[in-house]
Amino acid sequence: MVGRPTGSANFQLNSTASFQLSTSSQIVSDGKFSQSATSGAMQKRAAVRERAVWYLFLAPAILLLALFMAVPLYKALELSMYEWKGLLPRAWVGLDNFVELFQDKYFWNALRNTIFFAVAATVGTVGLGLFLALAISRRVPGHGLYRFAFYLPVMLPNVVAAALWTRILEPNFGLLNTFLATIGLGFLAQPWLASIDLSLVSIIAVVVWHYAGFPMIVLLAAIEGISEDLHHAATLDGASEWNRLRYLIVPMIWPVLVSISVVQIIFSLKVFDIVWIMTKGGPADSSSVLGTYLYKRAFEQQEFGYASAVAVAMFAVIFTVTYLYYRLTKVNAVEY
Amino acid sequence: MKHSLANMLRPSGILGVIAQILLLVWLFMTMYPIVYLFFTSLKTDSRILNSPFSIPLSPVIENYAAVILGGRTNQSVMIYMMNSFIVTGGALLVLLAASSLAGYALARGKFPGNQAAQQLFLLALAVPAHVLLIPIYFFFGDLGLRNSQIGMILLYATLGLPFTTILMRAYFVSFPKELEEAARLDGCSMFGVFWRVVLPVSRGALASMVIINIGWIWSELFFALALLDKLDVRTLPLAIAAYRPDAMATETVIGELFAIMSLAVLPLLIFYLVFQRQIRKGMTAGAIK
Repeated sequence: MVGRPTGSANFQLNSTASFQLSTSSQIVSDGKFSQSATSGAMQKRAAVRERAVWYLFLAPAILLLALFMAVPLYKALELSMYEWKGLLPRAWVGLDNFVELFQDKYFWNALRNTIFFAVAATVGTVGLGLFLALAISRRVPGHGLYRFAFYLPVMLPNVVAAALWTRILEPNFGLLNTFLATIGLGFLAQPWLASIDLSLVSIIAVVVWHYAGFPMIVLLAAIEGISEDLHHAATLDGASEWNRLRYLIVPMIWPVLVSISVVQIIFSLKVFDIVWIMTKGGPADSSSVLGTYLYKRAFEQQEFGYASAVAVAMFAVIFTVTYLYYRLTKVNAVEY
Repeated sequence: MKHSLANMLRPSGILGVIAQILLLVWLFMTMYPIVYLFFTSLKTDSRILNSPFSIPLSPVIENYAAVILGGRTNQSVMIYMMNSFIVTGGALLVLLAASSLAGYALARGKFPGNQAAQQLFLLALAVPAHVLLIPIYFFFGDLGLRNSQIGMILLYATLGLPFTTILMRAYFVSFPKELEEAARLDGCSMFGVFWRVVLPVSRGALASMVIINIGWIWSELFFALALLDKLDVRTLPLAIAAYRPDAMATETVIGELFAIMSLAVLPLLIFYLVFQRQIRKGMTAGAIK
């Protein structure tokens, strides 16, 4: 799954809407007569009817959410309390799965890897994205090309980025090791994805390559939103590069920086595709994350009850982080 | 921006030189793997292994011919591609319809439960899709929706709903009411206002919603892997996964894998080339205020 950034939006009206606005105000004043003619009872009935129509507008979305999200969520909680292996009948075991989960070193390993992955990938993508945005915002020669090129990897499907880099990192014929050998740095060559020490780090590097363009464009928009006057003032005051960054740019884009970081963390906690394609969690579970662990327990070992407990634990982690983010940014019914 | 400001911001001295060098390095880092992807798809396997950096001056189309005829996935890549188009297109259509209707009701409607409904969409946004996989797998089995494109379309539309609806509501809140009121007084029904007045001027916002959702739906693997086990309904990501590009293996069909990947990238790449400005703007709007 690709990250769907969380948060609020700020749309600009397009010009057609504001143009038609001016012509429509006349019609409103013309129509006032007919409105005053309606009786109170009719108005009440109209209000009830209007309410019903609003519910109809909401119905398709609510129906989909109920059917494919709420019910499955409830079922997942229920299943996590059953032991259900393969074709054997399922048996209710209460919280046994969670007790087992607590002592499952593979689960803790996956959780640890997931958190490490999320933090490192976020620092990497947002850090690199910030650097790129800062550099491009200075109107360096070729900034249009940079803007285009740096976002390009974001357009690649996860599976493609993963499979492509799997080939590049392949130990014997892969591009990276061949390149290192060609320039005389062959001693640096590594079995990147086949090494217990390097597999997770290699995957994180690929994720940074893949997604740095996303925080970049968001931060770039924030930096370019800083008013020219402030830059002028800073220049007239003779502020150094560092001070301008420290006291002008970073404070101005701070809220965006925080939001994009949390969005990246939440999104990274859900990682699956890229790990599945590149290592399947291996070697020796060194790159196992919650997503791949859950998938393996469910569809390779047919332990649907226990896998559901893993899923519920994952849900708890991500739901908590997201909820804290709402509290942090005081998102409440999304106000603008 | 004013020209003077552009000059003023342009970095000078060592800092500027270092920044420029790093930008060029990253430019190479982002562009080369993508160029390599397309080049490799035009080479024979022995050329791929023996001269990985070479430019395919005499490109071969064998890899593409092989995957179109079936290749290692036992089925023409055209069928995978068609399935991906159907599922992505269908999901976007359902998603846009349901989210714009709901977003409009949440923005305009005065009815009991509006606030609660908004909270519900926010809560749904916090639910990771992974927790739904196992129940959906059995649920789809019971309903006969496993290996069904309709099932995938409804599922993907649902997964995109919370976020897209919240964005659509935000858009409609900022949309001028006067236009709709005028149409209402002219005797237009509520749905008529929505369909004939509001939607036509909201094309920009709808396009943004397509931009935000098209990428993840096109490349979705987690659910597809579990729910689509019949060959004839599989989507492109499954074709790529079927090649199992293992880290240590010396595949004998690397060229075919690269041909399939090139074909999977191409639609999104063309989309990006044509709409790059709108895409970058749309993604920014979708991110944060």
